[in-house]
Amino acid sequence: MTVDQLIDWFPISATWPGLTFLLAVLICAVPVFLFIAVYALVVIYGELKISSFMQDKVGPMGQGVGLHAWRWGLLQPVADALKLILKEDIIPASADKKLFILAPFIVFIGAFIAFSALPFSQTLIIADMNIGVFYILAVSSLGVIGLIMAGWSSNNKWSLYGAMRSAAQIISYEIPAALSIIAVIMLTSTMSMQGIIQYQSGFIWGFLPNWLIFNNPFMFVAFFIFFISGVAECNRTPFDIPEAESELVAGAFTEYSGMRYAFFFLSEYANMFVVAGVAATAFLGGWQSPIPGIFNSPAWGLWWFMSKTMFLIFVMIWFRWTFPRLRVDQLMSACWKGFTPIALVNIFGVGIWYLTLG
Amino acid sequence: MTDNQEQLIQEAVEKALQGDMDAVNNIEDRVTRSKAKAALVKAKREAAKTSAEPSSEDKSEESATESKPAPLSLNQKIAGIIASQFPGTVDEESSSETHIQLQPAKWFDVAQYLRDDPACLFDSLQCVTGVDLGEESELEVRYNLHSMTHRHAVEIRIACARNNPKVPSVETVWHIGDWFERETYDMFGIEFEGHRDLRRILLPDDWEGWPLRKDYEVQETYHGIVVPKVKEGWE
Amino acid sequence: MGVVQGDQMVLNIGPQHPSTHGVLRLKVVTDGEIVSDITPIIGYLHRCFEKHCENSTYEQVIPYTDRCDYIASMNNNFGYVVAMEELMEIKVPERVEYIRVIMAELNRIASHLLALGTYGLDVGAFTPFLYMFRDRERILDIFELTCGARLLYNYMWVGGVSHDLPVGFVETVYNFLDYFEPKVQEYNDILTFNKIFIERTADVGVLLPEVAISFGVSGPNLRGSGVKWDIRKDEPYSIYERFDFDVPVGQGLVGTMGDCWDRFYVRVLEMIESTKILRQALKDIPANGDVHQALPKKIRPPKGSIYRRTESPRGDLGYYIISDGSPQPYRLKMRSPAFTALSVLNEISRGWMLSDVIAVLGSLDIVLGEIDR
Repeated sequence: MTVDQLIDWFPISATWPGLTFLLAVLICAVPVFLFIAVYALVVIYGELKISSFMQDKVGPMGQGVGLHAWRWGLLQPVADALKLILKEDIIPASADKKLFILAPFIVFIGAFIAFSALPFSQTLIIADMNIGVFYILAVSSLGVIGLIMAGWSSNNKWSLYGAMRSAAQIISYEIPAALSIIAVIMLTSTMSMQGIIQYQSGFIWGFLPNWLIFNNPFMFVAFFIFFISGVAECNRTPFDIPEAESELVAGAFTEYSGMRYAFFFLSEYANMFVVAGVAATAFLGGWQSPIPGIFNSPAWGLWWFMSKTMFLIFVMIWFRWTFPRLRVDQLMSACWKGFTPIALVNIFGVGIWYLTLG
Repeated sequence: MTDNQEQLIQEAVEKALQGDMDAVNNIEDRVTRSKAKAALVKAKREAAKTSAEPSSEDKSEESATESKPAPLSLNQKIAGIIASQFPGTVDEESSSETHIQLQPAKWFDVAQYLRDDPACLFDSLQCVTGVDLGEESELEVRYNLHSMTHRHAVEIRIACARNNPKVPSVETVWHIGDWFERETYDMFGIEFEGHRDLRRILLPDDWEGWPLRKDYEVQETYHGIVVPKVKEGWE
Repeated sequence: MGVVQGDQMVLNIGPQHPSTHGVLRLKVVTDGEIVSDITPIIGYLHRCFEKHCENSTYEQVIPYTDRCDYIASMNNNFGYVVAMEELMEIKVPERVEYIRVIMAELNRIASHLLALGTYGLDVGAFTPFLYMFRDRERILDIFELTCGARLLYNYMWVGGVSHDLPVGFVETVYNFLDYFEPKVQEYNDILTFNKIFIERTADVGVLLPEVAISFGVSGPNLRGSGVKWDIRKDEPYSIYERFDFDVPVGQGLVGTMGDCWDRFYVRVLEMIESTKILRQALKDIPANGDVHQALPKKIRPPKGSIYRRTESPRGDLGYYIISDGSPQPYRLKMRSPAFTALSVLNEISRGWMLSDVIAVLGSLDIVLGEIDR
């Protein structure tokens, strides 16, 4: 189901095209928002449990009364969310009020609208644009503006530090990420997300699914560059320098509380999903089954896409609870001296491979 | 014990010391005899001591080349070195085996000398302790120096007047002197002359009085907060 | 304090900040990420320890020493009672000496675990922190078993210890050692030799030996700079001369000698040395003996003064005690190792980045309770 089909299906589409468009967008947006909310709760619970497992503790176990009391602490993230909603919303007296209020929404919108191009299954995509990958790369950088607004408007030195760091970091890591996506586009000759996935059907080398990660060694490298840059774009450990709790208190979010803080939190998890989703689409065959030919119905497609994405999110969580944090200059030099040149060389490698062996 | 008895014991002991043990053994009264014997043992021990001392001194003189520990304590040795290099700085009367008492005047030069001289090499300032010697008397600063090379330590004490306490700063000699002197200043109000940044360190900058002096009176209020007094007999 | 001009910014790290290890305020002058000057402002936790001591009896001082370095209370007790016993010329029973060494070394491990774990937090690694706290917990359980307290023990008394060892204590500690020794490798795997961790700490905040000595830096921080100085070895107190253990020093294994990583690694190695001492002490400890035998009826040291240093987990812990013959100390000064360690912060982290200041501060392992007293 795409938004275009939805528009065609509306009986009033001919008479009021504007209204139809608005209605169709709303119909698509509400489930996506709900999906993000539910997914965030699940991943937060998963993060609590995974980190507890890694750290030799039990995590939420349903101790106490009320929401915590449910089995295995399953309602812990719900309780957390409720707490955030009920908390007092503080706007510092010296803050730039308008920007301060606007910032969390801009950050969230950046993550939110990227969902519209994610192919959940063969049929489930909101808009299968012919520039899908390009669109996602473009809108996911929108969050930077929100972060800078948050850091600037808080009128707090820590916030400013965090904002400046994250601006530098996200913009820098866009480049290797985009460069490794270019390698994908070179092979698939399309920027449409569905097109990229369709290219990856069948077998390669006789036995492996024809996913781009297996296509050639350069693509293998490209996947790692994309994924690591993606982790950096999400500001996750070991690249959580903008938040850097032990250095910058909470970075750009220092002055935020309650629901506004929750929005930043939500965008972080939404961004993780986008990055993992794009990585799964571009390199791991999206909704393609790992055994080509079977389990290829749209329902199975949803399952495959979600499991690949969730696995990548799990790896991100794994990173977070294993690594220390890099320093800001090391992070930048890793990007400009490491990932960017490798990604550039990679493009040539893929091109040569394609011309000679492809 | 009567005078008679004492006299008897004394005579017997003297005789015995000269070799005539019978003089003691022949004392009839058992109590007196045993007392005499005890006195004899004591006398012999003392005699042995006095005779032994010169001999041990001879020994140490003989073996001085073999670097046997000299009878002088390290503090006394260092005091000697300081006295020879900076005459008039060491207060010999108050110095003892455990510390060196210095006049404040040349302390900075002495400190530099102690740090750099190859025989001393006190490269580490271990501790600076301020002491109030009593409400009527002086304040004192005690420095514990240590040498990482020679692995030896001395204690230096410098007294200063109560109403105008001034001691030269050694902050540039040992870096840690900076904070130690600030702390001593904070607690005792001893002014370290030449310290580049003498401020309070533990207490707020606007605190009044020198808390560790024995005549310290707690200020009544601090920024409108009533400072609680020590209650009598609270223990 | 220099005048702030142009594009420089003054930043207050603390008094409330996640990685100041207590209530410390660092006034930092920054130019972007580069830090050009750091002024530590201390005293937020000042509790008039020395003034309190002058108004308490000698016995009452011991609980106060607990509260100075609350991470290593046993070692603080130990330093005080060693000084007092030397002043009063008390000979304590063999069993007490062994108990004290066991407690001090256990506490040293616990303290280093906390230092290493929180250092992981400072550089952004959360998991090692919990691993180390998990193991520190076992030591605290042993202390609880022995004296009922988990943090502030008031265990060592002048002339003895407050309680004899509980039944099964030796086995408990043996069990702990069997459990703990392999764990050190786990810490090394997850943190010490992690590439990112090395990147963050190697060559950062290099403390030269001469600078360290001049700043009175001691303990693991000094040994991290390659100076082999350990009071347990060089000026043995209690019964430390009986034990066979090494004094690990920094060698610049992954960077420069005296960098943050060396200070970190020296602590890791010291934990291993402590387990060696513990095993020897557990083997030799007399099975029986009255731990209260040498407790003086009244603590009234003769007139005089004493300065005695002991090796606390943070370095040379000195007590200067002046007695006027009364049951209360005339003056008691505590020379705290963290105080001197903090004073060197500006010297070694000037010119580095903001993140490095946090890394250097963490590597010095300060405890504000001891700095402010």
